[in-house]
Amino acid sequence: MGYFLAQVVNGLEVGSLYALVALGYTLIYGILELLNFAHGDIFMVGAFLAAGVAALLVHNEAAAVPAGLLIGLMIVASMAGAGGLGVAIERVAYRPLRNANRLAPLITAIGVSLFLESAVQVGISPAPVGVQTHAIISQTVFHLGSVDTPFSKVLLVAVALVLMVGLDLFVFRTQFGSAMRATAQDREAATFMGIDVDRVIMVTFFVASALAGMAGLLYVLSYATAQFFMGYLLGIKAFTAAVIGGIGNIRGAMVGGLLLGLLESLIGGYISTQFQDTFVFLGLILVLLVRPQGLFGQPLTDRA
Amino acid sequence: MGKPRLIVFAAFASLGLAACGGGAGNNGGGTANKPDKVQIAAEGPFTGDQASIGAGALQAIQLAVKDFNNQGGVNGTKVSLLVWDDQHNAQTAQTLQAQGISDPTVLGIVGPMNSGVVLGSVQGLQNASPPLPLVSESASNVKVTDSGNSVAHRVNARDDAQGPADGKFMIDQGAKKVFVMDAKSDYSTGLADQTQQYLTAHNIPTQRDSAKAGQTDFGTIITKIKQFGADWVYFADEGPETAPFVSQMKQQNLNIGQNIQFLGTDGEEDPSIITKSQGAYDGAYATNITADPAGLTSSAATSYVNEFKSAYGSDAVSKAGPFYGSAYEAAQVLLQAIKNSPVKNGKISRNDVINQLGSGSFSTIFGTVKFNSKGDVQGGGIYVYQAKGSSMVVLKQVSG
Repeated sequence: MGYFLAQVVNGLEVGSLYALVALGYTLIYGILELLNFAHGDIFMVGAFLAAGVAALLVHNEAAAVPAGLLIGLMIVASMAGAGGLGVAIERVAYRPLRNANRLAPLITAIGVSLFLESAVQVGISPAPVGVQTHAIISQTVFHLGSVDTPFSKVLLVAVALVLMVGLDLFVFRTQFGSAMRATAQDREAATFMGIDVDRVIMVTFFVASALAGMAGLLYVLSYATAQFFMGYLLGIKAFTAAVIGGIGNIRGAMVGGLLLGLLESLIGGYISTQFQDTFVFLGLILVLLVRPQGLFGQPLTDRA
Repeated sequence: MGKPRLIVFAAFASLGLAACGGGAGNNGGGTANKPDKVQIAAEGPFTGDQASIGAGALQAIQLAVKDFNNQGGVNGTKVSLLVWDDQHNAQTAQTLQAQGISDPTVLGIVGPMNSGVVLGSVQGLQNASPPLPLVSESASNVKVTDSGNSVAHRVNARDDAQGPADGKFMIDQGAKKVFVMDAKSDYSTGLADQTQQYLTAHNIPTQRDSAKAGQTDFGTIITKIKQFGADWVYFADEGPETAPFVSQMKQQNLNIGQNIQFLGTDGEEDPSIITKSQGAYDGAYATNITADPAGLTSSAATSYVNEFKSAYGSDAVSKAGPFYGSAYEAAQVLLQAIKNSPVKNGKISRNDVINQLGSGSFSTIFGTVKFNSKGDVQGGGIYVYQAKGSSMVVLKQVSG
């Protein structure tokens, strides 16, 4: 039982990261029906921005500024930086192709993804970068029965949950949120209703990318490392989570992310860590066969 | 000076010496023992994708030749060094070696460094007349010396020596239950297999798992380690996955040196793992097929490290890769074997060098070295390091 709980905790921790990144895929897909393949790499850039702030302000395992200010700066750098990057990518790589063949923005998305990875690999570091997290957050390990988990992972799950609830309120309870939902339903009709569609799309990219940036920061605080290829597999897993949840559906992406993390950790814990990814993607295939719209998605016929 | 005459002469000389076993050196006057010309070659991947291991080794060999010449060379003749950059390619190696095979004053090779290059070119060296001997500083594949040739020697330990040595070390340290990890590469899976076999044969319960290349989340595996109740974790890895792995062990309350012990392999005697894991690696052990002179306290090793730094810069050691010690050692061995060989009419025969390599003992920066009949160095040569403070120190030499 203790072992089961420990693996559930492991799963929730990884799943929270998947969920935060999956939200970005699903937000952008919901509005534009675009698979933003560069999203995993925006997560990576967010992690490097956080690592960069830490590298500037932490010397010899001691922070040059109070820890609260340091974390604040890391949040601003990774969320605003990643958000701005997302907006820039939309402006440069997707907007000119908005009325083009649907394949065209998919190809530019892959191009942007490769560009970001290579830029970080060549410009920053081909090897994993270490982060002195000891100087930034508490290294306390919590013991809950047979489960041991560090403060950084508790923070990861808590922040992810708060952000997910916040996003849900933003989309379903604010005026801007209803403009987003209107754009998602019918872009042309939304324009007729006086909604500035370009602005909605820009804000959507900013929010989606800022969430990925925050995921990058939380990753750095938990794993104390960043590497240029970190967004690739995690991005694909998060995309899988979004599809399992029903792509375009925000609550679906959250549930899908947590579910995927749990699935991975329980398969690794009870069957084999070697077959983790095999089973995860087998799960994706099964979901697509049985329920192509995902667990929470509307049937495709409704959208058409 | 006609070159053909030289070759014919050398061929005669070598035939004669091979026939009489090379025992009787003609100790006439002082000049009679002075060879006309002595050359050796350094071979390895000095440029290209493996330059990180080759470049430091070449620096070490150049230093060894210089030191040997400053001490008088071979009875007054200075040794000249040929640099053969095989770029980790056996075909390039054969082209380069052809030059040495045809020139009887080329008496041996320090290298090649890669097992694949040795295996791809050793037949040509063996079939040369006379055969051209090699002393490798890093080729660890068992076949390098198991294929029955007389030319191949190495100062580093074999792949099949490391696994049992690692297993025995853990048992000697009191291991009761070992969690064995590999990193899904040919090198690490093979080594982890051998260590696990040794442990199983000695009734130590084991459980096996693998890291994927570039993996950073080890939560699931670490929970398994705790469930298994391991008192030792063995991780055969080239290095990059170790820092996040040990950091997360600590995050799940497995503290190395306290409630768990850790043994890593070749790439894991890298002190940067201690910084990257923010001290979680402190107290961990790692084994390597050669010793890092900088981790030793003997005066020979210390003065070599100082010499290396003054020759190539104070940060040269940290950039030299894992074989700058064994490369110097291999060059010392080859040069002493040449020096011990008889000089006949100003010539030294490669057959005599091979005999000397097989029978002699050589004093090196790592102590006395002797080869067995296969050409493997006697006494294992597996070194145990421990992470202490911010560096990896050599604890001792072990064998299986």
